[in-house]
Amino acid sequence: MITDSVPLPIEFLPCDSQGTIVEMCGRPCQVQRLEELGIRQGCKVRMVCRGEPCLICIEGRRISLRLGDSADIFVVPTVE
Amino acid sequence: MPTATVSETSTRTVALIGNPNTGKSSLFNALCGLNARVGNYPGVTVEQKVGRLTGSKLSIDVIDLPGTYSLAARSADEAVAVNVLSGELAHQAAPEIAIVILDASNIERNFYLFSQVYELGLPVIAVLNMWDRVEAEGLTVEAEVIAKRLGVPVVCTSANKRKGIDELRRTIEQTLQSPRTKPASAQLARAQFPEAFHQEAQKLSEWLHSNGRKTSLYKVDRLLIDSDGHFQKSLCQSGLHEINTQIEQARERLRVAGCKVPMFETKARYGWIRQLIDGAVTRKETRSASSSDRIDQWLTHRWVGMLIFALIMFVVFQSIWWVAKWPMDGIQWIQGLASGGIEAFLPPGALRSLLVDGVIAGVGGVVLFVPQIAILFFFIAVLEDCGYMARAAFVMDKLMTSVGLSGKSFLPLMSSFACAVPGIMATRTIESRKDRMVTLLIAPLMSCSARIPVYVLMVSAFVPAIKYAGGWISLQGIVLMGMQSIGAIVAIPVAWLLKRFLFPGEPATFLMELHSYKWPSMVVIYQRVWERVVSFVARAGSLIFCTTILIWAACYFPGDHRLLDESVATLEQLQRTQAIAPVSLEQTQIEENQIREKQIEEKLGEVNRLRSELIETSFLGMAGHRIEPIVRPLGWDWKIGVAVIASFPAREVIIATLGTIYSLGTGEDEKSQSLQDQMQQARRPDGRPVFSLATAMSIMVFFALCAQCSATLMTIRRETNSWRWPIFSFVYMTTLAYIGAWLTYQFFESWS
Ligand SMILES: Nc1nc2c(ncn2[C@@H]2O[C@H](COP(=O)(O)OP(=O)(O)OP(=O)(O)O)[C@@H](O)[C@H]2O)c(=O)[nH]1
Ligand SMILES: [Mg+2]
Repeated sequence: MITDSVPLPIEFLPCDSQGTIVEMCGRPCQVQRLEELGIRQGCKVRMVCRGEPCLICIEGRRISLRLGDSADIFVVPTVE
Repeated sequence: MPTATVSETSTRTVALIGNPNTGKSSLFNALCGLNARVGNYPGVTVEQKVGRLTGSKLSIDVIDLPGTYSLAARSADEAVAVNVLSGELAHQAAPEIAIVILDASNIERNFYLFSQVYELGLPVIAVLNMWDRVEAEGLTVEAEVIAKRLGVPVVCTSANKRKGIDELRRTIEQTLQSPRTKPASAQLARAQFPEAFHQEAQKLSEWLHSNGRKTSLYKVDRLLIDSDGHFQKSLCQSGLHEINTQIEQARERLRVAGCKVPMFETKARYGWIRQLIDGAVTRKETRSASSSDRIDQWLTHRWVGMLIFALIMFVVFQSIWWVAKWPMDGIQWIQGLASGGIEAFLPPGALRSLLVDGVIAGVGGVVLFVPQIAILFFFIAVLEDCGYMARAAFVMDKLMTSVGLSGKSFLPLMSSFACAVPGIMATRTIESRKDRMVTLLIAPLMSCSARIPVYVLMVSAFVPAIKYAGGWISLQGIVLMGMQSIGAIVAIPVAWLLKRFLFPGEPATFLMELHSYKWPSMVVIYQRVWERVVSFVARAGSLIFCTTILIWAACYFPGDHRLLDESVATLEQLQRTQAIAPVSLEQTQIEENQIREKQIEEKLGEVNRLRSELIETSFLGMAGHRIEPIVRPLGWDWKIGVAVIASFPAREVIIATLGTIYSLGTGEDEKSQSLQDQMQQARRPDGRPVFSLATAMSIMVFFALCAQCSATLMTIRRETNSWRWPIFSFVYMTTLAYIGAWLTYQFFESWS
């Protein structure tokens, strides 16, 4: 279930909680690479390990991220 | 179109392509019966590898390629895959079939690359590998439905269990023999690109054609979509500079028309994938943390993870010390037997000296270290195949950013602890060119397996065997570990300086998939260890053997050995009679024995004097005395000096050289001793021991920091395409090594 709370950058997603990606912006080629890796709008993500870099889980795949200023991923947290 | 008759005689090629870590190399090994490197992290394969398909009537070459997430190549390893697949290489035609390996447990993302490869116009086969995971994870994947919708053969395999391989083999043969058909363009994901894009692509294609570059539609797409892409660069390099403005203008027109480059591509492709797998793939929604997650809680924890990494490295380096002692003693015993046997059969002379002093004492001394190499590679193989390496890279990203690199650089550096050559090759996976250069230049500082013999020899001979913690931790083990880490520690400021002054820039972003843990496969471990042991022995038998022969010759000539050989023969004769003489109480015989003993002693003195005279006046001795002033500040005598200089092509040579020098130069009574004992007993002209703790430490530090490996320098040359960087590495590392060794010697001299 998605609440209508404001989207927050993925870094702020609490550990072990889920969210849905609502927007990705930044350098086009960086966003393109993220999408090629399966990180896309509408995907459910779970934060496995917060920090820099952080570790997220998308569809059972774990991907580590440290994007710096090159791109931002915004998520809306899922409330259970 | 190739006909069936042609196909039976000529060699056909097929290529394996897919996302990283989907099991391409495993499948390649299964298809060709080879042992390409396999590991559970992305970026194991960085260059193409060709093998012949086994069990087929046709002669078919299979090419294993590096993994890539898309055909928009960003790093050098991805560029290899794209170049081979699209026939960009001058000396190599494009393969006839593209076999796309997909991770069946992650279909959606994996079909992204498939949708691109499908547009190349080659016949394709889709392989759903990791089929065992599909069953284990409770997924359902209806392969027939996908095959029908796609219109290409789909094969399900489990490469590591060798399942489905025969079917794949049959499918390859069938596809090669059936007439080539192109998919209808409406079937491609490309059909879902916006209309404006199709028009621009058409225009650009015509423009290229009019400029004499007939370009496939797929390449035109990539030119338009990828900013500063791979093909754009190569077209530019080939002299067509106008392409840049053409592309810019086209992109501007697309922007005006409301077509967002490059986002529309991913959108169209994922749309195409959704239609393709709709209803054919279902995933059980799971919220609970998997066992991988539970392990990751600790291994990727900020501090605990770092601690665990340090602990793992500690265990690896310590075990090299603990475990290898026993097999080494065995090998040493065999070595003694062999030289004893030769001495019994051959009379003293050049041939016997070559065999005993050159081959057995030299090359044999290197082979002695096989157990250490095997243990090191065992651990590396386990860590690589269980999936830990990617976690370590994740944990180390934090540290790496502090010197301006990223976690991506960690994997090549870790690989350099085995050998710098594959480590340098592995830097291809780093997207940022600057980061890649810095990583490549510091990789040779990591303590590779060729340094282990030097450390082990020096440590076991000159570091006191003090034990702590009830014998579990020894001072020798700690010094060994210190030596193995010193290069990595020095690499930190070096990397910082390089990044600061030669390759300035922000740390690159870090984006890496961490694959699930798995039990390491025994076959993979066995193959990795075996391959390295064989190559170590082969190196000892070729490069090191040749160098040792040269060293032996330089030590043996031009001196006149007749006098020495005669004395040795007399001495051996005397010793034999002495050995069989009866132990008697009769006065005459006791006197006889005493006389003989005295004679033996005299002869022995003569032989020893002749030996050291001959070696001092040999070519090597003369050269050694010349260079002695350079190495004296480091606490070395001329013998160490020449041994170190001789080991510039390959580090292990020092063992062989010292073995030969001491075997030729030491007294007859010490001949049967190990190199270690001979070194301990070696004396300078003034009677002080040649080797002190300070000397041994300074030799080890020199080896830790010096660029003594021709193979590494050649690899740097190849990967950077210039002589500048190997020369740079050589100069900076040798300077560092000299300064480091000098400081170490001064420190230990003043301390002891
Ligand atoms: N469960 C399972 N694991 C597999 C299968 N095939 C390969 N693996 C494992 O997956 C990991 C990756 O295998 P590789 O063959 O190195 O993969 P690759 O595609 O060549 O990887 P890169 O060269 O890095 O692109 C290894 O640990 C294999 O043992 C399979 O069918 N099932
Ligand atoms: Mg591979």
